[in-house]
Amino acid sequence: MAEPKLLKFEVLRFRPETDKEPVFESYEVPCMEDWVVLDALNAIKDDIDPTLSHRWSCRMGVCGSCGMLVNGRPILTCAAFVRNYTGTIRVEPLSNFPIVRDLVVDLESFIEKIKSVKPWIIRKLEKDVAEGEYRQSPEQLEEFKQFSMCINCALCYAACPVLASEPEFLGPAAIALAHRYNLDSRDEGNAERFETLNDGDGLWGCSYANECSQVCPKHVDPAMAIQQAKLTDALQWLHVLPKKSFA
Amino acid sequence: MSSAHAKTPKTPTAPARKPSGFPLGWYRYRNYTIFAATCIPMAIAAVELLLGVAALGKGEEAWTAWLATLSAPGLRALNAICLYFAIYFAFRFGWVGRKIAAGRIGPISKPPLPLSILGIAPLGGFVTLWLIVFVILGGFI
Repeated sequence: MAEPKLLKFEVLRFRPETDKEPVFESYEVPCMEDWVVLDALNAIKDDIDPTLSHRWSCRMGVCGSCGMLVNGRPILTCAAFVRNYTGTIRVEPLSNFPIVRDLVVDLESFIEKIKSVKPWIIRKLEKDVAEGEYRQSPEQLEEFKQFSMCINCALCYAACPVLASEPEFLGPAAIALAHRYNLDSRDEGNAERFETLNDGDGLWGCSYANECSQVCPKHVDPAMAIQQAKLTDALQWLHVLPKKSFA
Repeated sequence: MSSAHAKTPKTPTAPARKPSGFPLGWYRYRNYTIFAATCIPMAIAAVELLLGVAALGKGEEAWTAWLATLSAPGLRALNAICLYFAIYFAFRFGWVGRKIAAGRIGPISKPPLPLSILGIAPLGGFVTLWLIVFVILGGFI
């Protein structure tokens, strides 16, 4: 069995009861070659410093909990293999979010933004259960499937330079999710969502840095969703496209 | 939620930190910042053109005076910067144009060339217009 290798980590710490501002702390962690950064953080918490706080759950890129900055770039730490880094590995909480403690950020604004675009199917009249399910063809599913892959990891928000300048900007994940439902053949809430998307802090605040798509671990490509939504919005405004709505 | 719970003071937090390398420390953010900064010379250029239109309305003397002003070295330099930014903006906008392609599953791939050309073409007109302003009205010919 291979021997563990001693790797140096710098982890940003913030303990609100004692720290005025976040500070880096260094740790030397014996890491196996197949470890990811999350394994190293768990090793720090288990064996070196139990006061370290960080979020994680599934360890397989599904739950979206363990997003952090590793050497400055937003990434799921469960997918960041230590063998891919050289020298000291620097771990920080996601940028563009207030820090609650250590590597844990306050995601309240993110959740509120997601909620504001009404990410659920809106219909004027619900079919009676006896009438059966809402049928959808594979082609109709293909229209939006890519945008439904989002795991709400918020990496796109941490990478977005628009959010760095304008914290109220609706942001990539929320717009991509709105676009996902607007494209859904079962949905009739297009006009309601565009009310939010057309807000001053909405869709048109995006100036296409494309960083959201670069860091997205699920290849949702939120930048594409935003540009498509802009086109749809413009064509609806010009009455070239009908508004899919009961309003 | 009980009212007592609702009044619980919010956990103290450290302020949000800017993305690493923003705005000028990392090349991709730097490119974005330059793109965002194009609005400044564009705004100046728009005012310059509006003054030209106003001069045209006032008669030949005002128009000639405006043309003479455009020939000033400072304004030539400004218009050169505007031209650079117009081209930069046009190409970047064309690159965005690719993103309105239909969705697909999988990693980011290069969109088809016709879409890129379609995105760049309308802005080619804008660059050409600015070339006319810069070269002809700027007193180069």
